[in-house]
Amino acid sequence: MITRSLKRITSVWIITVLVLFVTAIIFGITMRFNQGKDLTMSPVGFYSLMTTHGITMIGIWAAAGLVAVNYLLGRYVKVSVSLNVFAFVTTVIGVLMIWATTFIGKYHAGWTFLYPLPLQVAWAKWATPVFLFGLGILGAGWLIWSVGMLLQILSKYSLKQAFAWQHFSKNPAVETPPLVLISTVSLIGIIVSLLTAVILLVLYFLEYFSGGNFTNDPLLMKNLTYFFGHTIANESLYLGLAAVYELMPESSGRPRFKTTWYVALAWNCTLVFILTAFFHHLYMDFVQPVGFQMIGQLASYFASLPAAAVTAFSVIALVYRGRIRWSLTNTLFFIGIMGWLIGGIGAVIDATVSNNMILHNTLWVPAHFHTYNAMGNVLFCLAFFNWVAHEFAGTQASVKSFRLTTVLLLIGGFGFVLMFYLGGAYSMPRRFSVYPQEFTHAAILASLGAWFATVYLVAIVLIFANIIKKCLKVFSPSFSS
Amino acid sequence: MLSGIAWSAPEDYNFSEESKLYTKIADIKLNTTRGEVMLSDLYVKSPVILTLIFTRCVGICSPFLNSLSEDMDNLNAKENYKVLVISFDPLDEVSDMERMAKRYEREDDPQWVFAVTDNIAELNESIGFYPVWDSTRQQYDHDALLVGINENGYIVRKLTGIRGPDALMGVIREINNEFVLSYPLPRENMIFSCFTYDPATGKKKPSLGLLILVLPGILTLLMIALLSLKKQQQSVGNG
Amino acid sequence: MVNGQAGKINPKFREFNYGLSSGKVCLITDAGRRQFHYNKSNEMREHAILLTIFLVAATAISLFFFFIYRSSLPEDGKGMVNAGKKRLFFALILASVLIILLTVTLPKSPYFLFADETPAKVVYVAARQYSYTMSYQAIDPKSAGRSDTIELPVNQPVEFRVTSFDVNHGFSIYNDRAELVTQTQAMPGYVNRLRWVFTEPGTYNVLCLEYCGVGHPIMRTSFTVK
Repeated sequence: MITRSLKRITSVWIITVLVLFVTAIIFGITMRFNQGKDLTMSPVGFYSLMTTHGITMIGIWAAAGLVAVNYLLGRYVKVSVSLNVFAFVTTVIGVLMIWATTFIGKYHAGWTFLYPLPLQVAWAKWATPVFLFGLGILGAGWLIWSVGMLLQILSKYSLKQAFAWQHFSKNPAVETPPLVLISTVSLIGIIVSLLTAVILLVLYFLEYFSGGNFTNDPLLMKNLTYFFGHTIANESLYLGLAAVYELMPESSGRPRFKTTWYVALAWNCTLVFILTAFFHHLYMDFVQPVGFQMIGQLASYFASLPAAAVTAFSVIALVYRGRIRWSLTNTLFFIGIMGWLIGGIGAVIDATVSNNMILHNTLWVPAHFHTYNAMGNVLFCLAFFNWVAHEFAGTQASVKSFRLTTVLLLIGGFGFVLMFYLGGAYSMPRRFSVYPQEFTHAAILASLGAWFATVYLVAIVLIFANIIKKCLKVFSPSFSS
Repeated sequence: MLSGIAWSAPEDYNFSEESKLYTKIADIKLNTTRGEVMLSDLYVKSPVILTLIFTRCVGICSPFLNSLSEDMDNLNAKENYKVLVISFDPLDEVSDMERMAKRYEREDDPQWVFAVTDNIAELNESIGFYPVWDSTRQQYDHDALLVGINENGYIVRKLTGIRGPDALMGVIREINNEFVLSYPLPRENMIFSCFTYDPATGKKKPSLGLLILVLPGILTLLMIALLSLKKQQQSVGNG
Repeated sequence: MVNGQAGKINPKFREFNYGLSSGKVCLITDAGRRQFHYNKSNEMREHAILLTIFLVAATAISLFFFFIYRSSLPEDGKGMVNAGKKRLFFALILASVLIILLTVTLPKSPYFLFADETPAKVVYVAARQYSYTMSYQAIDPKSAGRSDTIELPVNQPVEFRVTSFDVNHGFSIYNDRAELVTQTQAMPGYVNRLRWVFTEPGTYNVLCLEYCGVGHPIMRTSFTVK
């Protein structure tokens, strides 16, 4: 059941996420302008900002997905608001600790904190343990929250039903709503990735406090890092898709999606692919066994099959000659699916080992992940925010003009990532605060990227303005659920 | 404490193992217990594991050959290779080598060749092997050395010291042109490695680190299994 | 004798060198199978091909979505006819494309490159914040710092043995047109062996492609291929 308190905490989350989002976009634009030589930052300033940008973006969009799923699960199962509030508190504490390390302590090991870089202290001495603790608090909060949601699902549905296995036989007695199926799969992925983070942090602290008596294995640490990092980023997107399944038909005035055998199959396979695809981050580590590299490419390739043939196809089939009532909500979902597919093409190209040799850690990498985040998952979540804001305000999603917003979003977003793709194809390295002079066009691409991102930011601010007033309504004394 | 440098070479790590790799071994004439032969006549037929010893040695030569002989028996490798034992002592004669072959019961083993040569200086130089004569002990001061030579006469791998069957198998694979993409450097702490290269199978075998990597998945599975089991019991209890 | 002499290329593996681009062209002629035709712009073409594939696919998806969007506007509302069949058809095509791509690309993985060749030269590489040591001899971490001037032969396999003495670094080789040719990672505690055949003489730059701290963008070295 969706209670008033659930609405309130969801509203608090939405406002927090959007404020942090706008801030983190500005960080990103600043970095791109620095690479474009339009402004000059110290390398330490650049890399501290890069670390903040990365961890904030990963954090808020994973949180946004959990918020959306938590809210929408309220339609099917009894959800706990107190766990949600608890996760919000740990998130705020974690983010504040992390921001303190990067802004005050000048910590700059990157959000991926690849071992042993955080231990090579080139910043305030306290920053390394505080960063790791901050991450631990944040992760622990989400872990408890995610386990809680999974328990809530399993208290109504049996394990088989939660995975929709009954849909493999004819005429299933119970239908598992797609939202429940996708939430189950994605929450399990989130839990696995957060447990990985816990192990990673424990190993870090073992070494940190051992006084030099214990050193970790760099290969294990790298595997753990990307298992955690890749999986949490990837699952955030799938949480966003849960909202697409639930709300796209509803906001378009079309019959809701049903779970069928192929939907069930697709999402069960997705769980397996997500948990093994991270190996593609280690393609250029020749010490990794070749078998794992092959699994990495197989999983990365086949993850696209359920994504395109089931999810994207369903959305297309719904829209095609569907007499759709377009609003900001379903427009964002629709563009998001498109951005997700385009980013997916970039990802599959890079996940091919023989291509990875000339694309690994070039700008191609931020190119593809910004595509399916900024033009994919972010739009799914914004669509949910917009929809839920209307629900809070008791208004209908207006069909009034949102054309300007959409046009700015498309031009800004795709222009921004195109500059990354061009840079990547021309071998420009990622994570360079300034480019060596042999990359003659790198600075101009960075500048253009920053300007496009500014256009994107304008669109985001327009959407934000549209949402925030409605979100604040849940706090007015006269608000009734 | 915060050095974080994960790599430190133990004092005894022998960097001479890495010298002269991919250079051609001197093609010298050998007087083997079965007649005269050029070194190239041996390696074009099958890659060679070469070891340099001298028969008067009271030091490492004897235990070294013992362990090599035992390891070869235990490995029973299917790969194509020969073991060539050459004396680097000019005083050694073919007859000394025959006695040595008998001592290790290899006199009739076609895979083993025992030889002396008149061109030992040339051979030593091409390998980077430099024994020093100690006149007070009347002995050579030298490393125990294995040299892996492929079918084209190139040195592809060297091992110093007595290293056991695993390292030996690695040499056999490499002289048979198997490309091992990576190798760990000797470190003090390897308990959490994901894999150790298993030369016996040519594959990496999982070690403790891999368990850590799959632990989150296992924990999650266990948790879900426990929960659904508990729920089933509850529903049985209720129903 | 199955393998070539050291420094010569086994034609079988020549093809793997250039991934998507002109690999087949390289296999060419028969006699002796030792004559190779090298296209100077191989690396550039490979990068351009990947970009083109992406841009074409992205444009196609955008146009398709625009078409779908347009179809939703008129008061028609018939929806998709035979959606189930179309979905199955689409899934089968996509699956076949993926399987074909996998079988074509997997054998071209760098792990199998020049595997049964004997390198003409071996170069030891030790990366550290923020420099590289390159040497023809194995590098002792205690006395590292002395670099050899590296000159490598053209059209012959060479091997880099790459490690790091502190954090993870990259070892990424760029040609003089600033195109990424090949790379491996430098991981502390492990030595990665990268084999390559340089088909163009010239100066090659090495950049670090794994973020390693503030000096990351200035970390570099170079070598010559003659």
